[in-house]
Amino acid sequence: MTRMYMAIVMLHVAIPCSFAQQPGSKSFKLLNDNEPFKINCLFKTSEGYIYAGTTNGLYSFDGINFKKINFTTAGIKDTVTAIFQDKAKQLWVGFKSGHIAKKVKGRLEYVEMEEGNPKAAITSFIQDKQNNIWFATNGEGIYYFAKNHLYLINSENGVSDLHVRTLALTSNGDVLAATDQGINICRLVNGKATVNVIGPNNGLPDYYVTTITPAGNNTYWIGMQEKGFCLYDHSSGKITLPASTLSWNYGQVNDLLVSQKSLWIATDEQGLLKQTGINTPVEVFNSVPGIQNKINHLLQDNEGNIWMSAATELTAITGNKLKLLPVYSPKVFETIHATLCDYQNNIWITTNAAVIKYSLVNGSYTEKIYSFPTLNSKTDITSLYQDINHTIWVGTMGKGILLLNPETGQSRSLSENPLLQNASILAITGRGNTVCAGGLEGVAMIFNITEKNKNITEKYRFTNYNDIENVGNNYIYSIYKDSRGRIWFGTDGKGITVLDNGKLTTYNKTNGLRDDHIYSFAEDSKGNIWFNTEGAGIYCFNGKTFKNYTDADGISDLKITALKTGPLGNIILVNKKGIDILNPERGSFSYINNKQGIGDVNTDMGSVTQDTAGNVVLSTLRGIVFYTPVEDAVDRPKTIIENVQLFLTDVEKNVKGYFKHDQNSFQFYYTGLYYTSPDEVRYQYKLDGLDTGWILTRDRNVTFPKLQPGTYKFHVRSSLNENFTNVDVVTYEFVIEKPVWKRFWFITTFIIVLLALVYGYIKRREKQLKKVQQLQQEKIQFEFQVLRNQVNPHFLFNSFNTLISYIEEDPAMAVDYVEKLSAFFRNIVNYRDQDVITLEEEIGVLRTYFYLQQKRHGKNLSLNISVSAEENKLIFIPPLTLQLLIENAIKHNAVSKETPLEITIDLQNKNRLVIRNNINPKITREPGTGTGLQNIIKRYSLLSKEFVIVNNDGAYYTVILPILHKLN
Amino acid sequence: MLYAVSSGSITFRSDAPLELIKASSNELKGIFNADKKQFAFTMNVNSFKGFNSPLQQEHFNENYLESNKYPRASFEGKIIEDMDLKKNGVYSIRAKGNLTLHGISQERIIKCELSVKNNVVSIKSNFTVLLADHNITIPKVVHEKLASEIKVEVKADMIEK
Repeated sequence: MTRMYMAIVMLHVAIPCSFAQQPGSKSFKLLNDNEPFKINCLFKTSEGYIYAGTTNGLYSFDGINFKKINFTTAGIKDTVTAIFQDKAKQLWVGFKSGHIAKKVKGRLEYVEMEEGNPKAAITSFIQDKQNNIWFATNGEGIYYFAKNHLYLINSENGVSDLHVRTLALTSNGDVLAATDQGINICRLVNGKATVNVIGPNNGLPDYYVTTITPAGNNTYWIGMQEKGFCLYDHSSGKITLPASTLSWNYGQVNDLLVSQKSLWIATDEQGLLKQTGINTPVEVFNSVPGIQNKINHLLQDNEGNIWMSAATELTAITGNKLKLLPVYSPKVFETIHATLCDYQNNIWITTNAAVIKYSLVNGSYTEKIYSFPTLNSKTDITSLYQDINHTIWVGTMGKGILLLNPETGQSRSLSENPLLQNASILAITGRGNTVCAGGLEGVAMIFNITEKNKNITEKYRFTNYNDIENVGNNYIYSIYKDSRGRIWFGTDGKGITVLDNGKLTTYNKTNGLRDDHIYSFAEDSKGNIWFNTEGAGIYCFNGKTFKNYTDADGISDLKITALKTGPLGNIILVNKKGIDILNPERGSFSYINNKQGIGDVNTDMGSVTQDTAGNVVLSTLRGIVFYTPVEDAVDRPKTIIENVQLFLTDVEKNVKGYFKHDQNSFQFYYTGLYYTSPDEVRYQYKLDGLDTGWILTRDRNVTFPKLQPGTYKFHVRSSLNENFTNVDVVTYEFVIEKPVWKRFWFITTFIIVLLALVYGYIKRREKQLKKVQQLQQEKIQFEFQVLRNQVNPHFLFNSFNTLISYIEEDPAMAVDYVEKLSAFFRNIVNYRDQDVITLEEEIGVLRTYFYLQQKRHGKNLSLNISVSAEENKLIFIPPLTLQLLIENAIKHNAVSKETPLEITIDLQNKNRLVIRNNINPKITREPGTGTGLQNIIKRYSLLSKEFVIVNNDGAYYTVILPILHKLN
Repeated sequence: MLYAVSSGSITFRSDAPLELIKASSNELKGIFNADKKQFAFTMNVNSFKGFNSPLQQEHFNENYLESNKYPRASFEGKIIEDMDLKKNGVYSIRAKGNLTLHGISQERIIKCELSVKNNVVSIKSNFTVLLADHNITIPKVVHEKLASEIKVEVKADMIEK
């Protein structure tokens, strides 16, 4: 876990004084066990993140907390002296030890160089046009990386001093180095470094150069030890000395910062200075609380705030955004109802029966009071306006309008318009030669100013609008002439009436306005008319439709004093606590309030004005405040996903993540970077794949434990209010894989294998069943054949003939013969159901059969069985196999005295039963189907793996049967 | 105070995908001025011995380093750090100078370990030489046999002159 370091925050507000001031400041200290560290350097990344290099290492700063960036290798302690980010967004860090580190995966790693590390502190980095990284050291000169090597530019190359404080890259690719002995211009020519020195001989007032800051157009601000600062033009070599530096007594210049048109100067003895033009005096801010006398570094954040580091303190001021002129006392403030910034940028305020002018003379403000004898001290002055002749128009309650020539102090009452008799004026505005005045009881008039009116005693030409519908007999809060010449009347309860080419049109609740009390008008660069209402926020009228902005859109206070168009086109809403700034492109609001040191703003409509540059000028309890928007400034939080953790371990957040099913607990850390008011930032997040909608929070982290497998996308966005429209969303995508046994391919494979197994089993079983069935069938066929054979008339006829001959000659033998015949048929009937019988049983059947045959053929037929009685019992045979073979032998051969038939049955090698007979073919063949032998072969093929071999060599007919030992 | 190399060796190694070439030479000469922190080392390129084959040595001398044309390699310059050679001890120092090889000089910073023992200064250094830095071109055929980065190791003992 990264350790969070707490920062002490101090809020300061300006104290009264006659100089221009920063209204407030915020200070932070980096503490560890109550011990503050020294801040050596500041850096802003391309994302806008501020980093601080300290004696205790590197810290990132989000406006609230400092977070230490640790080393990958634990235990390294080194003082950071320089920070840099290259074009590839790689962060480089230089240390006092001379080491250099890169930030890799959120941690620091020393860069190991073959050339070894410098042994002097690293002071500055730059990246040149060839993308080589250069760094300066305090004591060894300047190094640069090129083509995998590290090179050193030192005295041998002509460097005037090895103590180099800052590097700067020029427009033409040279490197400027600030050294204790002048500016060194380094240039690489054909891989060789050449150095030119700019010193006192070239007009540099002080050869001890401390800092170099680009000033645009190849010019550079040079900070020096004793002689302040100067402008160096690298194209011409010319050095310009600002008037303020001719007698410099602010101490060493430590850093310079260009912000808009001003140069901010950090000094060693007099704190912060600001210079707005080469020959204007510097403004001093050393008396502003929170600003130390010795400031080391300056940095401008993306919102335009200026940060400075002073020893152990980091302080932010609003920079060019806000300027406070604490020119009047709180007592005077209570009498102010209107302000004016004249064409010379003098500030005018109204007070009891008088107006006061504040002018800047030699850096401080002087006041001049213009009182009006015709007014008593109770008369309120409500409005101020300066016309093209520079005449000041003063609107009063009950005393009409007074005219004042600011040069001569001459004044008079504008009495030529009878409507102004004892009239109460609420607003005087104008454009060009038109001045508009509005007030109570139908005061609505437009004056046409001419050259003659330069003399204020000349009569003014005017038109009154008191008799027109919706305008007359009403309160007119303001009358506004827009850039197209249209006159807009804002009324109390009658809406808006616009006079365009002599035609009057009124817009009120019937046109969709929610409030008919209209206070003030402004026009943006697109010609849209903006106005604020008493309680329904502001409207933008584009000529056809009204667009309303309310608190739901981000307006902080619906009690809006006035609205103005700022110099950058923003719409500025003034309220009691500060200002709301509307970005009209995006519809988003940003705020300036007590967090920036302003508050107690005058709520009189006339107290909001603009200077010649368009900057908005407010009157507040503590003084006049100028608001100047900063160009290209960020006006909303920048959302950053800082870290993604899986079970509290960091994961790479810039690429889509893939995780296993049990890697399922995620924590997201995010920031809406907004240094102006970091604690105002709120967030919305959602996790696609889990949540359906955005969840609003102020927390900067969220945990999702035990996510199910699936595809997720984490979204986060930030805003300064609850309006999140048009806000950038930052995302992180990740996938939690299903476990192996739930993945498609696994399940598919599993099913296929299962099916294959089942199929195989079924097939096998089918085969087996088929075999059994076949066996059964064969058996039936065999039985059938045997029966048919044995009951075939031939056999019976022959048997009966034999029997007849015995009945007469030897009746006892006849009886024996019949017994044998009957035994034979009984055996057939007995054995036919069995698959196999023992060889002994088979031989029994065979002998009975042979006896019957031998009685017919006598000695011409012989059977020789050479199988032992033991073997007979162990060997199995399908029933009637041998009988069938012997029957075949007798059937197919002639049996006579000349050709006796000899049949032998042998057991060979204990595994084959050999049945053999000699061949004497019959001349007339006994009819037979030949299926008997086929049947035997088939039955054996089902019962044994070995085959039945039948061999006819012409002399002998041999059948070899494999032996069957046992059947399951 | 001047120091001169009493014994020294220089070894190089090329770890190419197909072939490892290693050769060394004991003919390292050099001189070091401790007061000015300046030094100069030199050697004959064709004194490298210990190649895999005579053919390899021939290629090395004739095709790559062209040692007939550029017989010497040298490194001369100045030590960046300060040190005291009168005290025994081990120092990590860096030398900035010009490395000349194949007729091309390149500015280099070379890190060395320097140890002093009884007035004998021993130097040990490992560094790499990029062939491209010194215009040493490798024919495509032997590309796989010769690494584009050559590792060099130098050891030398120096004594006071």
